[in-house]
Amino acid sequence: MDKTMDDIIREGNAYACIQCGRCTGSCPSGRECGLRTRKIIHMARVGIDVFKTEELWDCTTCFTCQERCPKEVKITDIIIELRNLAVKNSYYPSMADVPKIIIQNLYRTGNGQPLSPEVSKLRSIIGLDKEPNDIAKDKEALADFQKLLDGLPLMRWGGI
Amino acid sequence: MDYAFFPGCIAKNVYPGIEKATRIVFEKMNVGLHDYPYSCCPPPGVVACYDKDTWYALGARNLALSEPDNRDIMTICAGCYGTLHNVWHELQHNDAKRAYVNEHLGRIGMTYKGTSRPIHFVDLLDGMRDTITQNKEVDLDLRVAVHYGCHYLKPTTVTGENSESPMLLDEIVGLVGCKSIPFKDRLTCCGAGGGVMSGEPELSLKIMERKLKNIKKADVDCIVNICSFCHMNFDQSQKKLESFDIPVLHLNQLLGLAFGVKHKHLGLHMNLVSTRDLVKKVKGAKKGRDEE
Repeated sequence: MDKTMDDIIREGNAYACIQCGRCTGSCPSGRECGLRTRKIIHMARVGIDVFKTEELWDCTTCFTCQERCPKEVKITDIIIELRNLAVKNSYYPSMADVPKIIIQNLYRTGNGQPLSPEVSKLRSIIGLDKEPNDIAKDKEALADFQKLLDGLPLMRWGGI
Repeated sequence: MDYAFFPGCIAKNVYPGIEKATRIVFEKMNVGLHDYPYSCCPPPGVVACYDKDTWYALGARNLALSEPDNRDIMTICAGCYGTLHNVWHELQHNDAKRAYVNEHLGRIGMTYKGTSRPIHFVDLLDGMRDTITQNKEVDLDLRVAVHYGCHYLKPTTVTGENSESPMLLDEIVGLVGCKSIPFKDRLTCCGAGGGVMSGEPELSLKIMERKLKNIKKADVDCIVNICSFCHMNFDQSQKKLESFDIPVLHLNQLLGLAFGVKHKHLGLHMNLVSTRDLVKKVKGAKKGRDEE
Protein backbone atom coordinates (compact mmCIF):
# COMPACT_ATOMS: atom_id res chain seq x y z
CA MET A 1 0.00 0.00 0.00
CA ASP A 2 2.54 2.55 -1.15
CA LYS A 3 1.66 6.16 -0.52
CA THR A 4 2.60 9.00 -2.85
CA MET A 5 3.63 12.46 -1.71
CA ASP A 6 0.15 13.63 -2.64
CA ASP A 7 -1.52 10.95 -0.49
CA ILE A 8 0.63 11.96 2.47
CA ILE A 9 -0.19 15.66 2.15
CA ARG A 10 -3.91 15.03 1.71
CA GLU A 11 -4.30 12.44 4.46
CA GLY A 12 -2.23 14.56 6.82
CA ASN A 13 -4.40 17.64 6.17
CA ALA A 14 -1.31 19.65 5.23
CA TYR A 15 -3.26 22.03 2.99
CA ALA A 16 -4.95 23.42 6.12
CA CYS A 17 -1.59 24.65 7.47
CA ILE A 18 -1.52 28.42 8.02
CA GLN A 19 2.24 28.47 8.69
CA CYS A 20 1.73 29.89 12.19
CA GLY A 21 4.80 28.08 13.54
CA ARG A 22 3.27 26.78 16.73
CA CYS A 23 4.64 23.35 15.78
CA THR A 24 8.20 24.62 15.53
CA GLY A 25 7.80 26.56 18.77
CA SER A 26 6.68 23.37 20.54
CA CYS A 27 9.34 21.08 19.13
CA PRO A 28 11.81 19.75 21.77
CA SER A 29 14.20 18.61 19.08
CA GLY A 30 14.07 21.81 17.01
CA ARG A 31 15.44 23.71 20.04
CA GLU A 32 18.64 21.76 19.71
CA CYS A 33 19.04 21.27 15.95
CA GLY A 34 17.95 22.35 12.49
CA LEU A 35 14.56 20.65 12.44
CA ARG A 36 11.82 23.14 11.52
CA THR A 37 8.49 21.36 11.34
CA ARG A 38 6.70 24.39 9.86
CA LYS A 39 9.20 24.41 7.02
CA ILE A 40 8.80 20.68 6.40
CA ILE A 41 5.03 21.07 6.00
CA HIS A 42 5.54 24.06 3.72
CA MET A 43 8.09 22.26 1.53
CA ALA A 44 5.83 19.21 1.27
CA ARG A 45 2.88 21.31 0.12
CA VAL A 46 4.72 23.21 -2.58
CA GLY A 47 5.98 20.00 -4.14
CA ILE A 48 9.58 19.90 -2.94
CA ASP A 49 10.87 16.36 -2.31
CA VAL A 50 11.15 17.00 1.39
CA PHE A 51 11.67 13.30 2.09
CA LYS A 52 15.25 13.81 0.94
CA THR A 53 16.11 16.20 3.78
CA GLU A 54 18.08 14.81 6.70
CA GLU A 55 16.26 17.03 9.26
CA LEU A 56 13.30 14.69 8.86
CA TRP A 57 15.21 12.19 10.98
CA ASP A 58 15.72 14.65 13.88
CA CYS A 59 12.10 14.23 15.01
CA THR A 60 11.56 12.19 18.18
CA THR A 61 7.90 11.63 17.19
CA CYS A 62 6.70 13.08 20.51
CA PHE A 63 3.49 14.33 18.82
CA THR A 64 3.52 17.70 20.65
CA CYS A 65 3.31 19.61 17.35
CA GLN A 66 0.38 17.51 16.18
CA GLU A 67 -1.46 18.02 19.46
CA ARG A 68 -1.00 21.77 19.41
CA CYS A 69 -1.66 22.47 15.74
CA PRO A 70 -4.65 24.85 15.58
CA LYS A 71 -5.60 23.54 12.12
CA GLU A 72 -5.41 19.84 12.97
CA VAL A 73 -2.58 19.11 10.59
CA LYS A 74 -1.27 15.65 11.44
CA ILE A 75 2.30 16.84 11.52
CA THR A 76 3.96 13.88 13.24
CA ASP A 77 1.98 11.41 11.14
CA ILE A 78 3.21 13.26 8.05
CA ILE A 79 6.83 13.11 9.23
CA ILE A 80 6.57 9.35 9.81
CA GLU A 81 5.02 8.83 6.36
CA LEU A 82 7.73 11.00 4.77
CA ARG A 83 10.34 8.81 6.46
CA ASN A 84 8.67 5.72 5.00
CA LEU A 85 8.81 7.38 1.59
CA ALA A 86 12.47 8.27 2.11
CA VAL A 87 13.31 4.66 2.96
CA LYS A 88 11.48 3.38 -0.12
CA ASN A 89 13.49 5.78 -2.25
CA SER A 90 16.77 4.84 -0.56
CA TYR A 91 17.23 8.23 1.09
CA TYR A 92 18.52 6.89 4.35
CA PRO A 93 20.27 9.43 6.49
CA SER A 94 23.97 8.72 6.78
CA MET A 95 23.53 7.90 10.47
CA ALA A 96 20.98 5.14 9.92
CA ASP A 97 23.41 2.30 10.60
CA VAL A 98 22.23 1.72 14.15
CA PRO A 99 18.54 1.42 13.20
CA LYS A 100 19.67 -1.18 10.66
CA ILE A 101 21.35 -3.17 13.42
CA ILE A 102 18.11 -2.96 15.41
CA ILE A 103 16.19 -4.38 12.45
CA GLN A 104 18.76 -7.15 12.05
CA ASN A 105 18.41 -7.97 15.77
CA LEU A 106 14.65 -7.99 15.38
CA TYR A 107 14.91 -10.58 12.62
CA ARG A 108 17.51 -12.72 14.35
CA THR A 109 16.05 -12.77 17.89
CA GLY A 110 12.54 -11.33 17.66
CA ASN A 111 13.72 -8.35 19.73
CA GLY A 112 15.20 -5.07 18.56
CA GLN A 113 17.13 -5.09 21.81
CA PRO A 114 18.38 -8.65 22.31
CA LEU A 115 19.49 -10.28 25.54
CA SER A 116 23.22 -10.09 26.34
CA PRO A 117 25.07 -12.66 28.48
CA GLU A 118 25.63 -9.91 31.11
CA VAL A 119 21.94 -9.12 31.48
CA SER A 120 21.08 -12.82 31.43
CA LYS A 121 23.27 -13.11 34.54
CA LEU A 122 21.58 -10.11 36.16
CA ARG A 123 18.21 -11.70 35.48
CA SER A 124 19.12 -14.82 37.41
CA ILE A 125 20.61 -12.78 40.28
CA ILE A 126 17.22 -11.18 40.94
CA GLY A 127 15.34 -14.45 40.54
CA LEU A 128 14.05 -14.18 36.99
CA ASP A 129 14.49 -16.91 34.36
CA LYS A 130 17.89 -16.51 32.73
CA GLU A 131 16.14 -16.14 29.42
CA PRO A 132 12.85 -14.26 29.18
CA ASN A 133 9.86 -16.42 28.40
CA ASP A 134 9.43 -14.87 24.98
CA ILE A 135 9.91 -15.42 21.26
CA ALA A 136 13.71 -15.72 21.49
CA LYS A 137 13.22 -18.82 23.64
CA ASP A 138 10.38 -20.31 21.58
CA LYS A 139 12.17 -21.48 18.44
CA GLU A 140 8.98 -22.44 16.64
CA ALA A 141 7.43 -19.03 17.23
CA LEU A 142 10.68 -17.38 16.12
CA ALA A 143 10.75 -19.38 12.87
CA ASP A 144 7.16 -18.30 12.14
CA PHE A 145 8.02 -14.71 13.00
CA GLN A 146 10.94 -14.78 10.55
CA LYS A 147 8.68 -16.26 7.89
CA LEU A 148 6.22 -13.44 8.54
CA LEU A 149 8.96 -10.81 8.31
CA ASP A 150 10.37 -12.36 5.12
CA GLY A 151 7.17 -11.47 3.29
CA LEU A 152 6.84 -7.94 4.71
CA PRO A 153 8.11 -4.75 3.04
CA LEU A 154 10.56 -3.79 5.81
CA MET A 155 13.03 -6.45 4.69
CA ARG A 156 12.97 -5.01 1.18
CA TRP A 157 13.14 -1.34 2.14
CA GLY A 158 15.34 -1.83 5.16
CA GLY A 159 18.06 -3.11 2.86
CA ILE A 160 18.78 -6.03 5.16
CA MET B 1 -7.92 -10.36 37.31
CA ASP B 2 -5.76 -11.82 34.54
CA TYR B 3 -3.70 -10.13 31.87
CA ALA B 4 -1.33 -11.12 29.13
CA PHE B 5 1.93 -9.49 30.20
CA PHE B 6 3.94 -7.62 27.59
CA PRO B 7 7.24 -6.70 29.31
CA GLY B 8 8.91 -5.18 26.24
CA CYS B 9 12.53 -5.66 25.23
CA ILE B 10 14.07 -3.01 27.53
CA ALA B 11 12.51 -4.42 30.71
CA LYS B 12 13.40 -7.97 29.65
CA ASN B 13 16.82 -7.46 28.17
CA VAL B 14 18.34 -4.28 29.62
CA TYR B 15 16.66 -3.40 32.95
CA PRO B 16 15.31 -6.74 34.23
CA GLY B 17 14.60 -5.07 37.59
CA ILE B 18 11.59 -3.46 35.93
CA GLU B 19 10.22 -6.83 34.82
CA LYS B 20 10.87 -8.31 38.25
CA ALA B 21 9.31 -5.38 40.11
CA THR B 22 6.23 -5.61 37.90
CA ARG B 23 5.81 -9.33 38.60
CA ILE B 24 6.19 -8.82 42.36
CA VAL B 25 3.91 -5.79 42.62
CA PHE B 26 1.11 -7.26 40.53
CA GLU B 27 1.27 -10.58 42.31
CA LYS B 28 0.84 -8.74 45.61
CA MET B 29 -2.21 -7.02 44.14
CA ASN B 30 -3.64 -10.35 42.97
CA VAL B 31 -3.35 -9.64 39.26
CA GLY B 32 -2.30 -12.69 37.24
CA LEU B 33 0.29 -11.96 34.55
CA HIS B 34 0.70 -14.49 31.74
CA ASP B 35 3.60 -14.85 29.30
CA TYR B 36 3.30 -15.30 25.54
CA PRO B 37 5.96 -15.71 22.86
CA TYR B 38 6.01 -12.00 22.13
CA SER B 39 8.43 -10.33 19.79
CA CYS B 40 9.35 -6.74 20.66
CA CYS B 41 6.43 -4.38 20.09
CA PRO B 42 8.03 -3.60 17.34
CA PRO B 43 9.68 -0.24 18.07
CA PRO B 44 7.78 2.75 16.71
CA GLY B 45 10.96 4.75 16.15
CA VAL B 46 12.66 2.24 13.92
CA VAL B 47 10.04 -0.06 12.43
CA ALA B 48 7.12 2.39 12.05
CA CYS B 49 9.44 5.05 10.66
CA TYR B 50 10.91 2.59 8.13
CA ASP B 51 7.79 0.76 7.08
CA LYS B 52 4.40 1.23 8.68
CA ASP B 53 2.80 -1.83 7.07
CA THR B 54 5.41 -4.08 8.67
CA TRP B 55 4.75 -2.33 11.98
CA TYR B 56 1.03 -3.09 11.72
CA ALA B 57 1.59 -6.74 10.85
CA LEU B 58 4.14 -7.44 13.61
CA GLY B 59 2.10 -5.47 16.14
CA ALA B 60 -1.02 -7.44 15.17
CA ARG B 61 0.85 -10.72 15.67
CA ASN B 62 1.59 -9.71 19.27
CA LEU B 63 -1.98 -8.55 19.85
CA ALA B 64 -3.42 -11.78 18.45
CA LEU B 65 -1.43 -14.12 20.71
CA SER B 66 -3.73 -13.81 23.75
CA GLU B 67 -6.99 -13.62 21.77
CA PRO B 68 -7.77 -17.36 22.20
CA ASP B 69 -7.55 -16.87 25.99
CA ASN B 70 -9.59 -13.64 25.94
CA ARG B 71 -6.86 -11.74 27.74
CA ASP B 72 -6.13 -8.06 27.39
CA ILE B 73 -2.47 -7.08 27.22
CA MET B 74 -0.75 -5.10 29.93
CA THR B 75 2.25 -3.00 28.86
CA ILE B 76 4.78 -1.29 31.12
CA CYS B 77 6.47 0.94 28.54
CA ALA B 78 5.00 3.92 26.72
CA GLY B 79 6.80 2.82 23.55
CA CYS B 80 5.24 -0.65 23.58
CA TYR B 81 1.91 0.88 24.48
CA GLY B 82 2.27 3.41 21.65
CA THR B 83 2.85 0.63 19.15
CA LEU B 84 0.25 -1.85 20.37
CA HIS B 85 -2.46 0.69 21.06
CA ASN B 86 -1.96 2.58 17.81
CA VAL B 87 -1.95 -0.65 15.81
CA TRP B 88 -5.08 -1.85 17.62
CA HIS B 89 -6.82 1.50 17.08
CA GLU B 90 -5.96 1.65 13.38
CA LEU B 91 -7.11 -1.92 12.78
CA GLN B 92 -10.43 -1.16 14.50
CA HIS B 93 -11.09 1.60 11.99
CA ASN B 94 -9.31 0.54 8.83
CA ASP B 95 -10.76 -2.56 7.17
CA ALA B 96 -8.28 -2.52 4.30
CA LYS B 97 -5.36 -2.52 6.73
CA ARG B 98 -6.93 -5.29 8.77
CA ALA B 99 -7.32 -7.39 5.61
CA TYR B 100 -3.70 -6.70 4.72
CA VAL B 101 -2.51 -7.76 8.16
CA ASN B 102 -4.59 -10.92 8.12
CA GLU B 103 -3.34 -11.85 4.68
CA HIS B 104 0.21 -11.86 6.07
CA LEU B 105 -0.65 -13.50 9.41
CA GLY B 106 -2.47 -16.20 7.42
CA ARG B 107 0.92 -17.23 6.02
CA ILE B 108 1.88 -18.44 9.51
CA GLY B 109 -1.54 -19.79 10.44
CA MET B 110 -2.65 -16.83 12.56
CA THR B 111 -5.64 -14.47 12.47
CA TYR B 112 -6.09 -11.06 14.05
CA LYS B 113 -9.54 -10.35 15.47
CA GLY B 114 -8.92 -7.30 17.65
CA THR B 115 -10.60 -8.82 20.70
CA SER B 116 -7.63 -8.37 23.07
CA ARG B 117 -6.99 -4.75 23.95
CA PRO B 118 -3.67 -3.30 25.01
CA ILE B 119 -3.72 -1.41 28.29
CA HIS B 120 -0.99 0.68 29.88
CA PHE B 121 -0.41 -0.48 33.46
CA VAL B 122 -0.86 3.01 34.90
CA ASP B 123 -4.43 3.04 33.56
CA LEU B 124 -4.95 -0.28 35.28
CA LEU B 125 -3.57 1.17 38.53
CA ASP B 126 -6.04 4.04 38.19
CA GLY B 127 -8.82 1.59 39.02
CA MET B 128 -6.85 -0.11 41.80
CA ARG B 129 -6.14 2.78 44.14
CA ASP B 130 -7.61 1.02 47.17
CA THR B 131 -5.52 -2.08 46.46
CA ILE B 132 -2.39 0.06 46.29
CA THR B 133 -3.20 1.67 49.61
CA GLN B 134 -3.95 -1.70 51.20
CA ASN B 135 -0.59 -3.09 50.08
CA LYS B 136 1.39 -0.07 51.21
CA GLU B 137 3.77 -0.85 54.05
CA VAL B 138 5.93 2.27 53.91
CA ASP B 139 5.05 5.89 53.37
CA LEU B 140 7.96 6.75 51.12
CA ASP B 141 8.03 10.50 51.82
CA LEU B 142 10.06 11.24 48.67
CA ARG B 143 10.14 14.26 46.41
CA VAL B 144 9.80 12.90 42.89
CA ALA B 145 9.89 14.20 39.33
CA VAL B 146 7.35 12.26 37.29
CA HIS B 147 7.76 11.50 33.62
CA TYR B 148 4.80 10.24 31.59
CA GLY B 149 6.40 9.28 28.27
CA CYS B 150 5.10 10.83 25.06
CA HIS B 151 3.49 7.77 23.57
CA TYR B 152 1.43 7.07 26.66
CA LEU B 153 -0.18 10.50 26.31
CA LYS B 154 -0.15 11.20 22.57
CA PRO B 155 -1.66 11.35 19.99
CA THR B 156 -4.75 12.09 22.08
CA THR B 157 -7.02 11.23 19.15
CA VAL B 158 -5.90 7.65 19.85
CA THR B 159 -5.08 7.66 23.59
CA GLY B 160 -7.96 9.81 24.83
CA GLU B 161 -5.59 11.30 27.44
CA ASN B 162 -5.10 14.91 28.48
CA SER B 163 -1.67 15.60 27.05
CA GLU B 164 -1.16 19.11 28.45
CA SER B 165 -2.03 18.57 32.11
CA PRO B 166 -2.18 14.88 33.01
CA MET B 167 -2.44 14.12 36.74
CA LEU B 168 -2.78 10.33 36.99
CA LEU B 169 0.87 9.51 37.66
CA ASP B 170 1.15 12.41 40.11
CA GLU B 171 -1.82 10.99 41.98
CA ILE B 172 -0.52 7.42 42.00
CA VAL B 173 2.85 8.41 43.50
CA GLY B 174 0.86 10.42 46.05
CA LEU B 175 -0.87 7.23 47.21
CA VAL B 176 2.44 5.88 48.50
CA GLY B 177 3.46 9.08 50.23
CA CYS B 178 5.51 10.72 47.48
CA LYS B 179 5.18 14.32 46.45
CA SER B 180 5.30 15.09 42.73
CA ILE B 181 7.36 18.24 42.36
CA PRO B 182 6.57 20.52 39.41
CA PHE B 183 9.46 21.44 37.13
CA LYS B 184 9.89 23.44 33.96
CA ASP B 185 8.71 21.73 30.76
CA ARG B 186 7.83 18.63 32.72
CA LEU B 187 5.93 17.06 29.84
CA THR B 188 8.55 17.41 27.12
CA CYS B 189 10.05 14.41 25.42
CA CYS B 190 13.13 12.75 26.94
CA GLY B 191 14.76 12.67 23.50
CA ALA B 192 14.85 8.90 22.99
CA GLY B 193 11.99 8.36 20.56
CA GLY B 194 11.67 8.37 16.81
CA GLY B 195 14.91 6.45 16.39
CA VAL B 196 16.80 9.58 17.53
CA MET B 197 18.57 7.89 20.45
CA SER B 198 19.95 5.19 18.17
CA GLY B 199 20.35 7.27 15.01
CA GLU B 200 21.51 10.60 16.44
CA PRO B 201 22.75 10.02 19.97
CA GLU B 202 24.28 13.51 20.34
CA LEU B 203 21.00 15.25 19.56
CA SER B 204 19.16 12.90 21.88
CA LEU B 205 21.59 13.72 24.66
CA LYS B 206 21.10 17.48 24.19
CA ILE B 207 17.34 17.12 24.59
CA MET B 208 17.90 15.01 27.69
CA GLU B 209 20.44 17.43 29.17
CA ARG B 210 17.95 20.30 29.04
CA LYS B 211 15.37 18.09 30.70
CA LEU B 212 17.76 16.98 33.45
CA LYS B 213 18.79 20.57 34.20
CA ASN B 214 15.13 21.44 34.80
CA ILE B 215 14.67 18.39 37.03
CA LYS B 216 17.82 19.17 39.00
CA LYS B 217 16.46 22.63 39.86
CA ALA B 218 13.39 20.95 41.38
CA ASP B 219 15.67 19.22 43.94
CA VAL B 220 14.03 15.80 43.85
CA ASP B 221 15.01 12.44 45.35
CA CYS B 222 14.35 10.58 42.12
CA ILE B 223 12.73 10.49 38.70
CA VAL B 224 9.71 8.19 38.38
CA ASN B 225 8.65 6.98 34.95
CA ILE B 226 6.07 4.71 33.37
CA CYS B 227 8.14 3.88 30.30
CA SER B 228 11.08 1.45 30.22
CA PHE B 229 12.53 3.17 27.17
CA CYS B 230 12.52 6.62 28.82
CA HIS B 231 13.89 4.89 31.94
CA MET B 232 16.87 3.60 29.99
CA ASN B 233 17.46 7.02 28.47
CA PHE B 234 17.29 8.83 31.84
CA ASP B 235 19.69 6.38 33.48
CA GLN B 236 22.21 5.92 30.66
CA SER B 237 22.32 9.60 29.65
CA GLN B 238 23.20 10.75 33.16
CA LYS B 239 26.20 8.44 33.04
CA LYS B 240 27.25 9.94 29.71
CA LEU B 241 26.72 13.54 30.82
CA GLU B 242 28.56 12.97 34.12
CA SER B 243 27.03 16.07 35.75
CA PHE B 244 23.86 14.51 37.13
CA ASP B 245 23.14 11.80 39.68
CA ILE B 246 19.36 11.65 40.02
CA PRO B 247 18.16 8.07 40.64
CA VAL B 248 15.69 6.72 38.09
CA LEU B 249 12.82 4.44 39.11
CA HIS B 250 10.13 2.82 37.08
CA LEU B 251 6.80 3.29 38.87
CA ASN B 252 6.60 -0.44 39.60
CA GLN B 253 9.97 -0.25 41.37
CA LEU B 254 8.69 2.67 43.45
CA LEU B 255 5.53 0.73 44.32
CA GLY B 256 7.72 -2.25 45.21
CA LEU B 257 9.61 -0.11 47.75
CA ALA B 258 6.31 1.12 49.18
CA PHE B 259 5.04 -2.45 49.41
CA GLY B 260 8.06 -3.30 51.54
CA VAL B 261 10.01 -5.26 48.90
CA LYS B 262 13.79 -5.32 49.32
CA HIS B 263 15.52 -2.99 46.87
CA LYS B 264 17.75 -5.78 45.55
CA HIS B 265 14.69 -7.80 44.53
CA LEU B 266 13.62 -4.78 42.51
CA GLY B 267 16.95 -4.55 40.71
CA LEU B 268 17.57 -1.01 41.93
CA HIS B 269 21.27 -1.79 42.38
CA MET B 270 21.49 -2.48 38.64
CA ASN B 271 20.90 1.12 37.62
CA LEU B 272 23.90 3.09 36.37
CA VAL B 273 23.02 6.07 38.58
CA SER B 274 23.37 4.92 42.18
CA THR B 275 20.16 4.47 44.14
CA ARG B 276 22.01 3.91 47.43
CA ASP B 277 21.05 7.20 49.13
CA LEU B 278 17.47 6.80 48.03
CA VAL B 279 17.27 3.29 49.41
CA LYS B 280 18.83 4.48 52.67
CA LYS B 281 16.19 7.18 52.96
CA VAL B 282 13.39 4.66 52.35
CA LYS B 283 14.87 2.27 54.91
CA GLY B 284 14.89 5.17 57.38
CA ALA B 285 11.20 5.77 56.70
CA LYS B 286 10.47 2.07 57.17
CA LYS B 287 12.45 1.95 60.41
CA GLY B 288 10.62 5.01 61.73
CA ARG B 289 7.33 3.33 60.96
CA ASP B 290 8.33 0.07 62.65
CA GLU B 291 9.32 1.91 65.82
CA GLU B 292 6.03 3.72 66.07
